[in-house]
Amino acid sequence: MLRPRSNRNRSRSLQDRLSSFDESTEMTTTARLRFEGITKTFQSAKALSDVSFSVKPGEVHALLGENGAGKSTLLRILSGVSPQTSGEFFVDGKLATFKSPEDARRAGIAMIHQELQQIPNLTVAQNMFLGHPLKYAGGLLVNRREQEKRAAAALAMIDPSIDPSTPIKDLKVAQRQIVEIARALLENAKIVAMDEPTSSLTPAEFESLAVVIQKMAASGVAIIYVSHKMDEVFRICHQGTVMRDGNVVGTVDLRSAVQADVIAMMVGRELMQEEHKTFVKEDVRVDVRNLSSAVTHVRDVSFTVRRGEVVGVAGLVGSGRTELLRLIAGVDKIGSGDINVDGRALKLTGPRSAIDAGIGLLPEERKREGIIPMRPVSVNMVLPSLRKFARVGIVRHSAVNKSAETLLKRVNLRPFQIDRPIKLFSGGNQQKAIIARWLAAGSEILLFDEPTRGIDVGAKSEIYHLIENLAAEGKSIIVVSSELPEVIRLSDRVMVMRDGRIAAQLERHEMTEQAIVSHAVGDREPNTDSSMQEHAHV
Amino acid sequence: MSDIAAEMPKRSPKLFSSFSLRDAGTLIGLILIVAVFAALVPGFLSERNLINILQQSSINACIALGMTLVIISGGIDLSVGPTAAISAVLTATLLVSGVPVPVALLAGLGIGAFCGLVNGVLVAYVGLQPFIVTLGTLSTYRAIALIYTGGNPVLGVPQGFRSLFNGNIAGIPNSVIIVAVVAFAAWVLLKKTPIGEYLLAVGGNEEASYVAGVPIALTKITAYVISGVLAALASFILIGRLGAAEPILGNLWELDAIAAAAIGGASLMGGKGSIVGTILGAIILGAMRNGLTLMNVQAFYQLLATGLIILVAMMIDRATRGRG
Repeated sequence: MLRPRSNRNRSRSLQDRLSSFDESTEMTTTARLRFEGITKTFQSAKALSDVSFSVKPGEVHALLGENGAGKSTLLRILSGVSPQTSGEFFVDGKLATFKSPEDARRAGIAMIHQELQQIPNLTVAQNMFLGHPLKYAGGLLVNRREQEKRAAAALAMIDPSIDPSTPIKDLKVAQRQIVEIARALLENAKIVAMDEPTSSLTPAEFESLAVVIQKMAASGVAIIYVSHKMDEVFRICHQGTVMRDGNVVGTVDLRSAVQADVIAMMVGRELMQEEHKTFVKEDVRVDVRNLSSAVTHVRDVSFTVRRGEVVGVAGLVGSGRTELLRLIAGVDKIGSGDINVDGRALKLTGPRSAIDAGIGLLPEERKREGIIPMRPVSVNMVLPSLRKFARVGIVRHSAVNKSAETLLKRVNLRPFQIDRPIKLFSGGNQQKAIIARWLAAGSEILLFDEPTRGIDVGAKSEIYHLIENLAAEGKSIIVVSSELPEVIRLSDRVMVMRDGRIAAQLERHEMTEQAIVSHAVGDREPNTDSSMQEHAHV
Repeated sequence: MSDIAAEMPKRSPKLFSSFSLRDAGTLIGLILIVAVFAALVPGFLSERNLINILQQSSINACIALGMTLVIISGGIDLSVGPTAAISAVLTATLLVSGVPVPVALLAGLGIGAFCGLVNGVLVAYVGLQPFIVTLGTLSTYRAIALIYTGGNPVLGVPQGFRSLFNGNIAGIPNSVIIVAVVAFAAWVLLKKTPIGEYLLAVGGNEEASYVAGVPIALTKITAYVISGVLAALASFILIGRLGAAEPILGNLWELDAIAAAAIGGASLMGGKGSIVGTILGAIILGAMRNGLTLMNVQAFYQLLATGLIILVAMMIDRATRGRG
């Protein structure tokens, strides 16, 4: 489980097996799920318009599209959270009329959310039976023992190492994801909808998830799979329905389609595979020496970043990448070692001192660590630099607005409404606002943690261009990313982390997905793991 | 610059940015209540009675302003009543023993600030939950006030002090003027200063605020200190009116203050609240009491009406906001 051990051949053969299963059942079965002309309007805006497609039993069906394309809206309708405005959908040929999520659950529909909806202090089993516990003694008492037994049985099919009696909060995110899937198994769901199930999984965990999905499909479950990671989608999905602006653009057979074509369908324009551009200047701006954390396992890290340089940080989840950024940004406490900026050693006492030294962190978990949800974008942008905008203790709002207009225009905020609460913007536009935040603060060193996580393909390329523009201006940039194509596209140099240390630093000519992966997992013979690059998510 | 400005979406005029839709709702609520009493009680709308309502609301409004700031920061201050009591008995004792009024005033405000500081430090540095901290100091401060006075009221507050807080200028009670000034200052603080923005940010998302370099501890402590100072100020208004300071004064003040803030749109989850709304909320509660008293409604029923008005206000708030 610790080491990614996929290989291309094995996954091929699984896929072959599945497709043969598919063909054999194709003629005899009706659609497990069929949407017919689903339309959803909010006030006057159409979120979905005339969406029709169907999913057969045993099919893994990808729902593809940029953020805002209507995928989530469709899933909310399917799971009974909010009803459609017009149109119908059928489960096993029966018209579905869900008035609540509970109705949908009874009809055999299970949702696995991107943001896990679990209660941290309850046990795995309690969470799996949440809302409909097993009762005895005439319904007065909860039969915990039986719950745990059944939970264990469901978990055994995926990851037997998870103990149903542990509190959810003690599990890693990936394990919590598995618990959600086990819950769907437990409920004997006929249709399982997964919304970005792998955003926090390591490649090895993705592998076991892929196997589970294939098992579920083989038993006749219809699976709707939403993900921005195209490689994954192509590996495990049979069919894909591409949505754009609330419409279905088309349904494609993913076993024969070409990835670039599908992406073009999603964004409605050709997204070119762009070349890396470099803007590295001579002078070293950041010089980190033997840096160790006081609170995490980051140990003895040394590296430099020049002006205009983009340094990528790769590594498995848990290798200390995020923690390294937090250390440099003054969020976590430094145990020993130095950070020198422009030749001067920093004394970091917290984020404020790092910000004053020109360091800006763009956290991975934007919702938790990035944004103040209810406040306007403009305020979110100027938060670290408010003092700059104040005269005799009074914030000059005209100056704030002027700066916000300029900078948010520069990062291409959409919709361009600087007074709108930031929570109403898409993930990509929230990220743009956080970039503008550090531009406003005059930061010269930008630390990006998973800059495009949960961001759709279109906004992704915008973020890439912004990062390049910043580098061209001479800013020094560190990018942590789990997506190897992203790391390679952006970085002038890549540091690979393993167990809290830097395992290797690779220059551009050494920078292959294979090399990065083998350093990340600590593999001495890179050739034995030749397939890792196939689904590059370290 | 001009082309950027031309492309900008129209922003609502200045007035609206500080007087939100939510405040308009609170104002409508107040107008409705006033209209009902105007129909039922002759003389309710008289200038004299309206000024009365403002005067009767002033103490709660003063406390509620501080409470609003604390609530916005994501906390709560249950200790305002006992803080007011400590400040009142200390100030009165000093006054009675002949200390000049300005010195006694500063001492009273200072002890209020200190009480708030203790709350703030326990919340921000020790990391205890605000509810528990101020529940603890609620008892502690009350006990200090009682022990300090031996449980007896401090009588004979000099006229100079009393007229300062109980007098009036051109027919408007000083207490109303004082609270209006404080409200304006609180409004400026919340809308115009970095600390106001920090309060909203810390209450809205503490983790993100920290990463963005917001001084979390300083922000929280500021809110509690202001709350303590305003509790002291409120106690001056009361001893100005009564001419005596009782160690048991301010009992349940915290509940009225929380109610005023909540009616005015403050979210107990933090990150949200309005100075204008809180003032309107305090006046709503004051008008209710005044009207019911004029109607000779028994105290028990007054309490019932107050409770219901809070619940109804919150239900309207919930219904108009919709789900999530």
